[in-house]
Amino acid sequence: MSTLHVLSHSPFSDSRLSSCLRLLTPGDGLLLCGDAVYALQGGTAQRAALELMPETIALLALAEDLHARGLVQLPERLQLLDYPGFVASSIAFDKVNTWL
Amino acid sequence: MKFAIALFSPPHAPSSRRALRFAEAVLAGGHEIVRLFLYQDAVQHASAALVLPQDETDGARQWQTFISDNQLDAVVCIAAALRRGVLNDEEAARHDKPATVQSRAWTLSGLGQLHEANQLADRLICFGGP
Amino acid sequence: MSQSLLIVTRQAPWSGPGAREALDIALAGGAFDLPLGLLFLDDGVFQLAPGQQPASLTLKDLQANLQALPMFGVEALYVSARSLNERGLSDGALQLPVEVLDDVGLSALFERYDQVITL
Repeated sequence: MSTLHVLSHSPFSDSRLSSCLRLLTPGDGLLLCGDAVYALQGGTAQRAALELMPETIALLALAEDLHARGLVQLPERLQLLDYPGFVASSIAFDKVNTWL
Repeated sequence: MKFAIALFSPPHAPSSRRALRFAEAVLAGGHEIVRLFLYQDAVQHASAALVLPQDETDGARQWQTFISDNQLDAVVCIAAALRRGVLNDEEAARHDKPATVQSRAWTLSGLGQLHEANQLADRLICFGGP
Repeated sequence: MSQSLLIVTRQAPWSGPGAREALDIALAGGAFDLPLGLLFLDDGVFQLAPGQQPASLTLKDLQANLQALPMFGVEALYVSARSLNERGLSDGALQLPVEVLDDVGLSALFERYDQVITL
């Protein structure tokens, strides 16, 4: 059963991202929204950790949060989602686990 | 596809707005929302006592309009609500306090409603935090 | 067939109503006889620490709610070995009989349940 993990806390002040990364199994997805998109900031350990995820893990981000924060030079594997895309992803995976 | 949406954050949290946009996209995509369940600080969405500066978005009002327009089943956890001063007429009378929930869009009920929604839905989607 | 639900509790017991409200979801589900699991993760493992004295903060004891879990039919209780180790807690001194899972065990646990709430 695949899981789409959703994060919205900044990974620089919070342990959710690291806890989540350890749980991921092939077929799972990681959706960054809110301040969690700061994990994509270049030159950081968090960005490096995301790049190290196996290709079998989907990396997604909510486009509006990314654009609002002016993040550029994004990883090639990153899929940007609008809200219809968010809904589609929540259906594509068997379940959604939001790290509240 | 049937969705249960659970909200855990107050109206001023970015995740409240995110949940509303998601819910709109669910309905626009031809899917169904079996229930919206509000827990923890999300119960504040039901309060009529929120006053926002005119130039700020009133997330609670947007949610209420969305719920009324689409006749959604919106349940506020009663224990979480009482703890945070969110009372409808019945609870206000019971506890001898002023009522802060005016709209009939919101139902105050127990956590069993969250579990029931989860059983009725194909997907449970939670929103909370920042 | 009922959908199974895994509740992941990550809050320390003394950081506000978060831990109690997570437990309340589990207890409510147990009362409806639903297939439920409860996982103590990250700071949530502090809920299981021995020797806590809630009276010191004049707070209600969370232990009563924790001890009620099996009575409400919530018997699938898990804790992350890594979270315990990181926080200097030994699995021998916990307040509840919980199954200790390593990282692989945690991943498998998430695979098993239909839905998850992590708070």
